[in-house]
Amino acid sequence: MAIITENIILCDHCGAECRTADITSSDKHFCCQGCKTVYDLLSDNNLCTYYSLEEHPGETITSDPDNNRFEYLNHPDIKNKLIEFSDDDFSVVTFFIPSIHCKSCIWLLENLHKLSKGVEHARVDFIRREVSITYHPEVLNLGELVKLLASIGYEPQVNLDNIDKKERDRSNRSLYLKLGVAGFAFGNIMLYSLPAYLSHEPLDPNFQFVFSILNIVLALPVLLFSSTDYLKSAGLALSQKRINMDVPISLGIIVLFSRSIYEIITGIGPGYMDSFTGLVFFLLIGKLFQKKTYDGLSFDRDYRSYFPLSVKIRKDNKEQTVPVSSLEIGDYMNLRNRELVPADSVLMSDSTLVDFSFVTGESTPIEKKKGDLIYAGGRIVGQAVEMIVSKEVSQGYLTRLWNNEIFHTESQDKDLSTITDDASVYFTLGVILTAVISGLYWMHISTAIAVSTFTSVLIIACPCALALAAPFTLGSAMNIYGRSGLFIKNTSIIERISRIRSIVFDKTGTLTQSNQSNVNWKGQELTEYELKIIGIILRNSTHPLSKEISGKMTSGEKHEPEHFEEHTGLGISGRIDGHTILAGSINWLLKNNIDVNPGDEKPRTEVHIAIDSHYKGYFVLGKSYREGLPQLFNHLRNNFELALLSGDNDAEKSNLVRFFRSDNQLHFNQSPEDKLTYIKNIQSNGNRVMMLGDGLNDAGALKKSDVGIAVSDDVGSFSPACDAILDANRILTLPTYLKFARSSMVIIFISYTISLLYNLIGLGFAVQGMISPLLSAVLMPVSSISIILFTTTATHLTAKKMGLSSWR
Amino acid sequence: MEVIFLLIGFSLLLAIGFLSAFIWAVKSGQYEDKYTPSVRMLFDEETNDSSSLNQNDPNPNKE
Amino acid sequence: MALETFRYDNKIVRNFAFATVFWGIIGFLVGLIVATKLFAPNFLGFIPELTFGRLRPLHTNTVIFAFAGNAIFLGIYYSLPRLLKTEMYSKVLSNINFWGWQMVIISAAISLPLGFTTSKEYAELEWPIDILIAIVWIIFGINMLATIMKRREKHLYVAIWFYLATFITVAVLHVVNSFELPVSFMKSYPLYAGVQDALVQWWYGHNAVAFFLTTPFLGIMYYFIPKASNRPIYSYRLSIVHFWALIFIYIWAGPHHLLYTALPWWAQSLGTAFSIMLIAPSWGGMLNGLLTLRGAWDKVRESPVLKFLVVGVTAYGMATFEGPMMSLKNVNAITHYTDYVIAHVHTGALLWNGGLSFAMLYFIIPRIYDTKLFSKKLANYHFWFATMGALFYVIPMYFSGITQSLMWKEFTPQGFLRYPNFLETVKQVIPMYMIRAFGGVLFITGAILMIINLYKTVKQGSLIAEEEASAVPFKRNSQKRREGEAYHRWLESKPVLFSIFTFIAIIIGGVVEYVPTALIKSNIPTIASVKPYTPLELEGRDIYIREGCNNCHSQMIRPFRSETERYGEYAKAGEFVYDHPFLWGSKRTGPDLEREGGKYPNSWHFLHMKDPGSTSPGSIMPAFTWLYTQKLDTSHTIAKVDAMRELGVPYPKGYEHEAMVDLRRQADSITKDLTNNGFQIRSDKEIIALIAYLQRLGTDIKAQPTTAVRDSILSEYSTK
Repeated sequence: MAIITENIILCDHCGAECRTADITSSDKHFCCQGCKTVYDLLSDNNLCTYYSLEEHPGETITSDPDNNRFEYLNHPDIKNKLIEFSDDDFSVVTFFIPSIHCKSCIWLLENLHKLSKGVEHARVDFIRREVSITYHPEVLNLGELVKLLASIGYEPQVNLDNIDKKERDRSNRSLYLKLGVAGFAFGNIMLYSLPAYLSHEPLDPNFQFVFSILNIVLALPVLLFSSTDYLKSAGLALSQKRINMDVPISLGIIVLFSRSIYEIITGIGPGYMDSFTGLVFFLLIGKLFQKKTYDGLSFDRDYRSYFPLSVKIRKDNKEQTVPVSSLEIGDYMNLRNRELVPADSVLMSDSTLVDFSFVTGESTPIEKKKGDLIYAGGRIVGQAVEMIVSKEVSQGYLTRLWNNEIFHTESQDKDLSTITDDASVYFTLGVILTAVISGLYWMHISTAIAVSTFTSVLIIACPCALALAAPFTLGSAMNIYGRSGLFIKNTSIIERISRIRSIVFDKTGTLTQSNQSNVNWKGQELTEYELKIIGIILRNSTHPLSKEISGKMTSGEKHEPEHFEEHTGLGISGRIDGHTILAGSINWLLKNNIDVNPGDEKPRTEVHIAIDSHYKGYFVLGKSYREGLPQLFNHLRNNFELALLSGDNDAEKSNLVRFFRSDNQLHFNQSPEDKLTYIKNIQSNGNRVMMLGDGLNDAGALKKSDVGIAVSDDVGSFSPACDAILDANRILTLPTYLKFARSSMVIIFISYTISLLYNLIGLGFAVQGMISPLLSAVLMPVSSISIILFTTTATHLTAKKMGLSSWR
Repeated sequence: MEVIFLLIGFSLLLAIGFLSAFIWAVKSGQYEDKYTPSVRMLFDEETNDSSSLNQNDPNPNKE
Repeated sequence: MALETFRYDNKIVRNFAFATVFWGIIGFLVGLIVATKLFAPNFLGFIPELTFGRLRPLHTNTVIFAFAGNAIFLGIYYSLPRLLKTEMYSKVLSNINFWGWQMVIISAAISLPLGFTTSKEYAELEWPIDILIAIVWIIFGINMLATIMKRREKHLYVAIWFYLATFITVAVLHVVNSFELPVSFMKSYPLYAGVQDALVQWWYGHNAVAFFLTTPFLGIMYYFIPKASNRPIYSYRLSIVHFWALIFIYIWAGPHHLLYTALPWWAQSLGTAFSIMLIAPSWGGMLNGLLTLRGAWDKVRESPVLKFLVVGVTAYGMATFEGPMMSLKNVNAITHYTDYVIAHVHTGALLWNGGLSFAMLYFIIPRIYDTKLFSKKLANYHFWFATMGALFYVIPMYFSGITQSLMWKEFTPQGFLRYPNFLETVKQVIPMYMIRAFGGVLFITGAILMIINLYKTVKQGSLIAEEEASAVPFKRNSQKRREGEAYHRWLESKPVLFSIFTFIAIIIGGVVEYVPTALIKSNIPTIASVKPYTPLELEGRDIYIREGCNNCHSQMIRPFRSETERYGEYAKAGEFVYDHPFLWGSKRTGPDLEREGGKYPNSWHFLHMKDPGSTSPGSIMPAFTWLYTQKLDTSHTIAKVDAMRELGVPYPKGYEHEAMVDLRRQADSITKDLTNNGFQIRSDKEIIALIAYLQRLGTDIKAQPTTAVRDSILSEYSTK
């Protein structure tokens, strides 16, 4: 039964407010026919559990299910790219479906086979929001499959991007294995090493012998398998004449192992196998902790993520679907509502609205007339249009932008050596020096002692704790950021954030509330009645502007006008109770010979209204800025150089000056290249830049800047290539984010000092040649664990203090 | 105390058994997805709808 | 059509459910009886089959293997097929599993009161039953593994991992601990002796608790908490870590049951170390269970199932914290041998195992009978009775445990024991025993309410013997390709596999080589004066075992002044080399007997066993009157001597021919001594053998006149 709160009816499918109460099916209410259709479909196949698992779990159905949008998927090139595995009778394909969000989604998608015989088996990965489907192509082709998904509100995101990186990264698998082996060996070796420490008198030689043998056997796989990453990386570094943290670690690992072997074989002592395996075990835990990634998000989407895979073209008077890549100049394309313009092309239809939000981030559609050149990346709004390709995809404006070298060459200056690496250089040198000196010092007494001292120094100094400090601090910092709305690509970014000097904003989306403009009425006062009838007319129009305005008006009862017509690209006219209402562009009103006193010069999005051929005035749609921006900027201005790069005209300049105080940091009508060069300039002055943007046009700048943050209202949906994705509503937290990054680095430094202390204590013993297995067996875990505890708790406490939600 | 060797022997065999199980689990992708299974196990696949509803009844014992 | 329909076998679930309830009640009742006997020793007295010493093992066995055991099968046979989206592999095996297990229990219920016991805790059952257990268990395992093989759901839910661990580990433990040499049908001696026997027993004993009462119930927790609350487990990731961590640590905590015993010091400390490490995974599991219900406490208020689950998991948390604490040497010094251990155990048994089992019953029965629970109110009453019962049980036991310990250890300023007479410490705690029994009554009342409730539920519903379900099998083909991808990784890990294989070889070799040596070595007396038991003592020892004396009397003096003062020289490993099995005991309801030999004259024992009160006023020991009438069964004496020799006890060659003669000579000498003190008895009565054994206890290293007879016998003979 639909939930009715003060006679607002919520759709039983998607939970949206129902405008009317008359779309019903078996005592359930729906906001639109789309939702109803889904319900009927499910109930027919008794899949109504879908509704009993969660309250109105569905997605509002926007696109009409019965069109052939998906036919292109059956094009062999595309199909072969999408399908993971195919066999004579079935195929396996995995889709990314952003709308997967709850228990019910999992349940319904995994019961897909009940909706179509063609589907054999479907399996959801909730975190990745992926569904992997096994289906029978001869019963149900790929297009139909996707259509089926779309028809129940789970339209997959299919594009070149997710085609190309079909291969999922399974590197974690081998990490788990390494960890498992290390853990297993560590546990058992402890079992055989503890007795030696625990017994007061030396252990019965029988036991000692067997235990030592077992230790060696168990330690072997840890050396040959679990610790390979460190050995390899160290080797690589050395071969490149570099020193990174893995060098001293590997040194320690090797020395620990070989000396243990030596001691066991010569029967000097039980060896250090427990310390050795423990070391590797803890290191690997650190690695795993640092490896955390947001499976749901993608940080490196480029233009291909937005482009369609194929388009409908008309060749010698028959329609056919061709992959975008094979578009040729002069092809006639047919683009429908919400389809992207794949290549720069010329509009052939009279007029249309184009939404360039992907390119500029500006969400209000722009009107284009016959013959206008439309850049690739625009999205058609309204009914289908025809256009002629004027440039090949590869030559297109966007593509050129994206072929800019910075997207292909991972620019060096960006991954600057991390502090751990810096630290490790001095550390390693220091250790080796100490080792050699103390070795030489003992030389005069005996080589044996000298060697043992030398090795003990290397063992004790093995920077386990040091190596754990950064991973655990940054790892938990990353978690905290994630929980408080900033999703970071990888831990090294945090370090970069901590070094930011200047911040560059992109106006649209970043500062303004996207798809939430404020509507102002300019003109003579409207009466209640006039407002009402205007509302009714606008509500009848499909035009986005009309929708936006009517959305702002208090929704009166739905009332059918006696007459209504819509003239695309111009406006609408309708009659209610004998009153004729005109709404649309100035030209539309002029066309209907109404004398209009034009609004202020600045080109703006306006909807002019005339009732009974009397000009009433016009609605202005201005961007509304997020709350609290002034405070935000006052805060930032003190610590950072601020600048604004906007792709739009300077219409909003007056408003923006409020935040930036002076207008010499405000730059309008910026082309992507402009933004890019601007960032370059700042960097050339040795400043580290953070760029916040949302549009594709920012992508270049985002990529170039030291920290590129994509601001998005729907974090999951999409965002240009970037280092981090920021939930648009959390933009005010920016100063805290920056501060937190810096304090995280402080924490790292503190823990460095602590672990260095441990090392000094150990070295104290080592240089005197007074190192025992027991000592290292105690020192190693104690130092590691205490560092882990310190870093994680410190990070969380700091976060709590700064008001970043820290605990789940 | 030679019997300890016996115990160690058997314990090790067990441990190795479990280790190989672990290796199998990771290799065969058992732990690729560490969330969905916990939700999936809540679903009782039903052949008719009515049973489904009381199957998913959060509280089995209401009168 | 890919969709396959199949049927869950609810009959077998029903059977295990009923068995759980039935044996539960039996187990609880026997528990109540033994509890009562501790303050009213003559309650159901003078009947050999119903003495404390014989019923206590029956209690433990019924609640662990009959109640908990059937509950485990109930949980597995219900959840496993549903998690794997397939029916059990074979109904036949399922039924063999069911009836086989009931046979095990019944034979236990018969053989234990009759006095057939190995004396090893939780492994009392004699060898034929051991074999039956092994067979049934293997069949269960095959059935489970085969079901997993033909599963339709690719992923093995964490609960299943816990079930698997249970099967494999228990199988190994049971086999290793049951290496025994049969003497006759229903009588055997363990391969290991003394300290070694003790270590194996407690390696088993601890892991029996770990893998029979913990891992399967954790699996049950991971299935039923999400199901009953209809929300996914708090963190699935954590549950996976929980499993693997637990698995790799648990197996080695065993020795903490032998702290301060003759076990090598380092082995004891090892036990402690690993027990402490166990806290982490255990609490991880508990929190995971409880946090699942965060924000759903209203549901908990609603549903008795969840109530039982919550209390159960909480109890698990308490027990798993208390356990490691008790394995700390200094804590253990206080709690061991006292009622504290009983309290600890019952926190787990009554609430964790009991609670989860009840929860399962309330969850499953209405479902398989396609109806609602008859009365939620009644179930809630049960919940409160159970919880209150448990509290009334454990609190007095904790109290009496501490009291006992303090009184045992208290010295006067002059440096004498404050309570030299053990009886004072017993009388002190008798009120506690009474309250404990009351707690038991409450708990059982609750259980009876459950029976009524379930009976009504069953009546109002009708069993869906075959519950139809449908699922799509996962494509194994698509997964093959993945293997292909992982090929290079397989190469990467070749060293691991390689070392694993070599390793397994080494171990098997090692084991094969060491079992014999271990036994030979272990039987080389490290203390010259320690001699084998005479035939009569051997028979006496077996009576001691039959009557289950070791349930109340330890034979292990720990190296504390309070104990050496009270009982004499502390135990040395070398003293037990001929003890097949070891009889160290784990509880001192009565005083330690390790050095009982020669403490009192034969006549004292004669009187004491006939009527404990006569020699020790206020004693709660039952009277063993039948020992005075029953004739000592010597038909197996020679076989026993042979068996012992095979186990490495150095009876001289051909001694078996002389055994009977020796037996009579020693019996006569004791009878004579008794007659001299005015007690008439024929020398072929069982009591004589028992006295002989008691007088021998611990005398080897304090050369005593009483041993003279025996020494003469052996030395004399061997000189021939």
